[in-house]
Amino acid sequence: MIRSKWVRRTPALLVVTFALLAATVARAHHSFAMYDNEHQIKLKGTVTNFQWTNPHVYIDLEAVDVNSDKKEKKSWVIECANPGILNRVGWKFNMVKTGDELTVIAAPMRSGEPGALLKEITLPDGRVFNNGAPAGPALIH
Amino acid sequence: MHAIRRGTHVSTPRFVRRSISLATVAALAALVATGAHAQAGKLSSANVDKPDFSGIWDRDTPPVTPSARTAGGSPSAVTGPAFAGAAPPLKQEFVAAYQAELKRLADADQRGEPVTSQNTMCLPQGMPAMMLAIFPMEVIQTRGQVTIIEEAFTQVRRIYIGEEPPPVEDAEPGFYGHSGGKWDGNTLVVDTVGIKTNILYRNVPHSEEMRIHERMRVIDADHWEDQITITDPKYLTGSWSWTWKYKRRPDYKMLEYVCEDNREFADPVTGAQRMRFKDTKAK
Repeated sequence: MIRSKWVRRTPALLVVTFALLAATVARAHHSFAMYDNEHQIKLKGTVTNFQWTNPHVYIDLEAVDVNSDKKEKKSWVIECANPGILNRVGWKFNMVKTGDELTVIAAPMRSGEPGALLKEITLPDGRVFNNGAPAGPALIH
Repeated sequence: MHAIRRGTHVSTPRFVRRSISLATVAALAALVATGAHAQAGKLSSANVDKPDFSGIWDRDTPPVTPSARTAGGSPSAVTGPAFAGAAPPLKQEFVAAYQAELKRLADADQRGEPVTSQNTMCLPQGMPAMMLAIFPMEVIQTRGQVTIIEEAFTQVRRIYIGEEPPPVEDAEPGFYGHSGGKWDGNTLVVDTVGIKTNILYRNVPHSEEMRIHERMRVIDADHWEDQITITDPKYLTGSWSWTWKYKRRPDYKMLEYVCEDNREFADPVTGAQRMRFKDTKAK
């Protein structure tokens, strides 16, 4: 009886352990848990600063959430991957400039603060780039 | 240089000064050069006629099902299980604390307040995590040394062929430790000691007695594998092993990585990861 109960519980224990390990390994490098990937937003606005640095590239964007009822402009910080990942998916260090009008799809911070993790960026010339595989895909358009 | 010569002139007898001729200096220089050459020659034989790991490599892992709805809403968590390997064989007295720590981290992720990692502080992963090759990894195999450079955080480890790592009690702790390598046929066997006890892989605790044993084997022209075995008499009941594989990344030039300005930071009170909104660079 004891043995059979153990056997029945084993798969559940394995699942829990596996989930914990998955979370742990991801965290080992970087956690994206600050961001709400399931409620992505679309921002349109003007670049006030483009920071091309490790461990992250940042875009400061004076932008409006186009799907929000309030068409209120806010100072957003858009976190991107690092220069290496972005180079490998086709970005260039100087492709975003202060004053550029951008459209970005991003996962907003769960805290409600005006920060977001980039999923997809559309440049003024219409070119579209993603944020590399680790950041995950855009789920809206 | 001038001061030394002048001092010698004052205190050295004339017959000694005469004997220090150009020929003597040349002979001494030759001796020094010969010694250095002999040492390099001894080391150089170590990697001769052996498989060459040189090149730029990506981790080569079985594909996993992508999903944005994994632990903590973290898309990158999908890469977790493929790299997790076996569970660490922790001694019973450490299991509860280890599980509690994993739960603390997972709960923090679920709340959207992830606990900061060492990377948030711009600290590198160290060993063995750097061998995950989260970014491209360069291997440079010279005659007496194998040098591994991981692009992320510009992590560098040097494996000295034909040498043993120092005894544990003499190994100054660091992120990458001290590695000695030797050839077992066509397999490069590497032993590493001296990893700082606060540098953890998968949050598994370890002592200063941890040893990392690696068996590096070229599979074919474009693939190699690293069988890693961790032992630690203080924390583990036995050995903890897994294998990472790598595939060649042709035509790639390694990029600079200096961790310069992370606008994510650790909240000084809660330790949770936060974002700095102020753009200090532009001010």
